[in-house]
Amino acid sequence: MLKIENLQVKAGEKLILKGLNLEVKAGEVHAIMGPNGSGKSTLVQVLAGREGYEVIGGSATYNGKDLLALAPEERAREGVFLAFQYPVEIPGVNNVYLLKAGLNAIRKHRGEQEVDAFEFLGLVREKMKLMQMDESFLNRGVNEGFSGGEKKRNEILQMAVLEPALALLDETDSGLDIDALRIVASGVNSLRRADRAILMVTHYQRLLDYIEPDRVHVLSGGEILKSGDKSLALELEKRGYDWIKQGAAAA
Amino acid sequence: MSAVAARNTASATERYRAVFDARVRKDDALTAWRRDALQRFVAQGFPTLRDEDWKYTNLRRLESRSFAPADPAPGAIDESLWIANVGMRIVLVNGRAHPGLSTTSPQPPGVTLLTLGQWMENSPNDVAAFLASNSPAVSAFHSMNDAFSDDGIVIDIGESVQLDQPIYVVHQWTGGITSAMSHPRIFLRAAPNSRCVLIEHYVGAADSETLTNSVVTLNIGAGASVTHYRVQQESTRSFHIGHVTARLERDSRYVCQDVALGASLARTGIVATLDGPNADANLRGLFLPNGSQHLDTYTLVDHAAPHTQSNEEYRGVADGRGRGVYRGKVIVRKDAQKIDSRQSSRNLLLSPTAEIDTRPELEIYAHDVKCSHGATTGQLDATALFYLRSRGLSESQARSLLIRAFAESILSTIELPSLRSHLERQLHDRFAVQEISP
Repeated sequence: MLKIENLQVKAGEKLILKGLNLEVKAGEVHAIMGPNGSGKSTLVQVLAGREGYEVIGGSATYNGKDLLALAPEERAREGVFLAFQYPVEIPGVNNVYLLKAGLNAIRKHRGEQEVDAFEFLGLVREKMKLMQMDESFLNRGVNEGFSGGEKKRNEILQMAVLEPALALLDETDSGLDIDALRIVASGVNSLRRADRAILMVTHYQRLLDYIEPDRVHVLSGGEILKSGDKSLALELEKRGYDWIKQGAAAA
Repeated sequence: MSAVAARNTASATERYRAVFDARVRKDDALTAWRRDALQRFVAQGFPTLRDEDWKYTNLRRLESRSFAPADPAPGAIDESLWIANVGMRIVLVNGRAHPGLSTTSPQPPGVTLLTLGQWMENSPNDVAAFLASNSPAVSAFHSMNDAFSDDGIVIDIGESVQLDQPIYVVHQWTGGITSAMSHPRIFLRAAPNSRCVLIEHYVGAADSETLTNSVVTLNIGAGASVTHYRVQQESTRSFHIGHVTARLERDSRYVCQDVALGASLARTGIVATLDGPNADANLRGLFLPNGSQHLDTYTLVDHAAPHTQSNEEYRGVADGRGRGVYRGKVIVRKDAQKIDSRQSSRNLLLSPTAEIDTRPELEIYAHDVKCSHGATTGQLDATALFYLRSRGLSESQARSLLIRAFAESILSTIELPSLRSHLERQLHDRFAVQEISP
């Protein structure tokens, strides 16, 4: 579904991704772990189309398409979703409005009928139950005055409504207490499907106790230094990142 | 500046002598009073950039034009531009009251509504005396209004009268009218403990080329509450000068919501004097210059008494080569202690050629006061734009949403649904998206 080859990305003058390779197949959950500043967030932001980065080499192919050539909204309509590390507060833009506009943009792109207000509310209510969100969320401004946990839950609610084929989760566990983490994780788990891939970026192994990955990659210094199954995460938890960095330097 | 300094502005006002003389034939106290006002106006000259309060607004284009009082015969009127279903309506067409379009009778108990033109006709001497005691002609435009004003409304709200329905004043210019001017005048006296809502709506047909120079005087008695909406939708070929003076007695409350959408050049001046303890003024405004529009807002809040509060929140959104100006001055007089005053000016620039000048100012002569002010001018938040686009919204849809959200926040306190939806529709049209609807 997603194939990244030799991806090199600059932010300003700084080279952040230095030839990254990664392949994620439909149905898989991949976790990218790494120390601060390793390029984890850059990777998912570049994949979602955030401006401010310069791709100087390599490619990212999504379902056979050149992902990097698409505008952010085109990627979204093609089924790419980014759950933000810091969801943006947008006072005055209603949560429901955004969800419905997003969903209809995607449906229209797929040649499907737009949902009407009634149908849509039914759908959202159902997904909100999943995320244990209160109805009052609906008519508030996007993330306006939400707590950190509420914002992250809202991200997963959006994911549940928009039903992406490729979900990119950027530090979705950061700033969550254990109860919120459980809710968010169970939301994500319920969205695991054979035709959907999830790429999650995290600093902590903790998230992987709740969302079990098929593959774990260690990103450090802009490259993937090591990949393995979920046991790699446990090893990282025990030994930290230094042994991998040293191993890479030696090799 | 040197070119401006060299200009003789008196000559621009001088030519209005002939306009005045061509019309005035009577010999009564009102005419004498008007003639004095004309002298004042000619002597003052139009404000220039050297006048601190007009620093950002060049009136050259206005000065180069000659305006004359309009022919009262109304042309075609597009009532669909008006706000629907909102209270008692008084319509002035090309500056003259039009009873046929107004819906003021029967007048509610405790409320007196009088058209100024009729009063001038019937008792010019009384009007002269009234104007003399109610007209602090501070600026040239004020004097000009004094000299030429021949219609308007005098409203008296009796003691403790709670007027539920708004007083809706429509200033309508008809299509095809050019070089016409009007100087409407509104006097409102809200007796103690009364409550009322005044809506002023300035509407111009698209092709009208006019000058509106209005003066509104509000006397708000002890414990009274006046909510004042100004919606300026003049034609983009027109000039609009509006001056509002509000005097607040103790425990009174004044809310002003000013929305500037139209005119080629517009200037709204609002002066609120808090004259008694616990008087509270809340001024809010939105200006949306586009194309080559120049929309200027000037406010002066004078805390003349202790224990008074004021709050100002203004937002501007400038596009094209549009230029917006917000100058807000707050004065706290000596011995006016325990003042609470807040000022906020937030602005959005949508194009590289748009400009907004904002300057909140404080002048404080008392020591026990709480005053804050802040001003920001920026572009649309790139992160918010990306967030919306990452959910599938097109760039133009995302921009439109963010702009409208920014502008509409100023309208959120409007309690009249018909007015609010009228304004939201204007914003929607102004910042429309061509693509999918949600």
